[in-house]
Amino acid sequence: MGSSPSIFRFISTIFPWLFFFSILFLMGSLFWGLFLAPTDYKQGDAYRIIFIHVPSAILGQSGYIFMAVFGFICLVWRVKVAGMIVRSIAPVGASFTLLALVSGSIWGKPTWGTWWVWDARLTSTLILFFLYIAIISLFSVIESKQKADRAGSILALVGVAIIPIIKKSVDWWQTLHQSSTFSLSSSPSMTADMYLPLLSCVLAFYLIFLVIVLSRMKLEIVQRERSTNWVKDFYS
Amino acid sequence: MNNRSNLTQWMLLILKKDLLLSYRRAATYMTPLIFFLIVVTLFPLALGPDKSLLSTLSPAIIWVTALLASLLAVESIFQEDYRDGTLDYFFISGEPIFILIFIKVLGHWMVTGVPLLIAALLSSLILFMSKDIIISLFISLFLGSFSLSLLGALGGALSLGRSAILSAIIVLPLSVPILLLGSATVFSAINYSDYSVYLFYMGAILSLAIPGLSLATVEAIKLNYE
Repeated sequence: MGSSPSIFRFISTIFPWLFFFSILFLMGSLFWGLFLAPTDYKQGDAYRIIFIHVPSAILGQSGYIFMAVFGFICLVWRVKVAGMIVRSIAPVGASFTLLALVSGSIWGKPTWGTWWVWDARLTSTLILFFLYIAIISLFSVIESKQKADRAGSILALVGVAIIPIIKKSVDWWQTLHQSSTFSLSSSPSMTADMYLPLLSCVLAFYLIFLVIVLSRMKLEIVQRERSTNWVKDFYS
Repeated sequence: MNNRSNLTQWMLLILKKDLLLSYRRAATYMTPLIFFLIVVTLFPLALGPDKSLLSTLSPAIIWVTALLASLLAVESIFQEDYRDGTLDYFFISGEPIFILIFIKVLGHWMVTGVPLLIAALLSSLILFMSKDIIISLFISLFLGSFSLSLLGALGGALSLGRSAILSAIIVLPLSVPILLLGSATVFSAINYSDYSVYLFYMGAILSLAIPGLSLATVEAIKLNYE
């Protein structure tokens, strides 16, 4: 456990299965949400973008938390693979955050009548996106991969300490965004036939996130160990 | 000699060295000051000389400029010490390094942050800020600029030997809460409402930032010694 070759082999074995399962699951969930779920009485079909918007926003945030957790592991126990995970998550999380921002502004146009407002949630998501960009640019600037991993981990950790403060500090602004669609502690405020496809979409997005991160990790391992014998053996 | 006084000696030594160096080289404290004044001057030139507009915008202008100035000033804080080997001595001193790094940032803030406060007072005059709110501006800048210096030190450590723009990209998103709280302090002072709650938050951030960011900065500097 823990060495790059065994992790690489493990990812390679499960990857095809996971890939097809996730794609099917995603397509099923999106079909459920976009076609089968009932139309909202107030927003009409425009609300259906929720099945993209909410999962990608959730993934943008949890991606950052995953990054901080693995960054902590990378810094404290010097686990190289944790650093690779941080590096693999960063662009994926950034993409999901961007997707949340873009889908949100597409949703905002018909419902709020504007593409963008300086609302607390939108602003903190935008700043989350900037934090991702900062980490990605740090990764791309530092040549030594392991140094870059640790530098990015430091930044991810500091960022995760600051995110609640950012949220708190932007919360004072008058907010237009509705409160969280669902939480673990309270019962859902939507009907079950809208709520269940949304939950399914969130799970599907998590799976897709995992698939992309794993494939990036595979690439990362091969790139770093391209001169070793086991990589040559694997591809010969 | 016991351990405690040894650490105190180190701290005093670092502080003395940094203060003396900046005293001998006026550029270290003058450059951020001049930068601040020039940028503040640019705003009326771009916005027009309308007195009421400027005085409405003045808290935002002063805070954004102070943010940029203090980050730019602190960006190269470790560069010279890294090059001439002073930082090596921090690491072999056997003392807790994050305290030494904190003292370094403190010394830097004393020579850059304090002039910024004076510059902010000057620019509050040219932006027609009313006199009653200057005290809120002063306190919020006092607390905020130190947090910004600590953040900037982390950025400088992570981008040691690299471009200044990288350090800015790293630090600017993280500095958002300080900017929000700082300008909220002044804006609520303008509305004659109680602004102490924002100052408490800023103080809380500062007291978290002192140990947290010092430790992170040490970790970031260590990357250059491998």
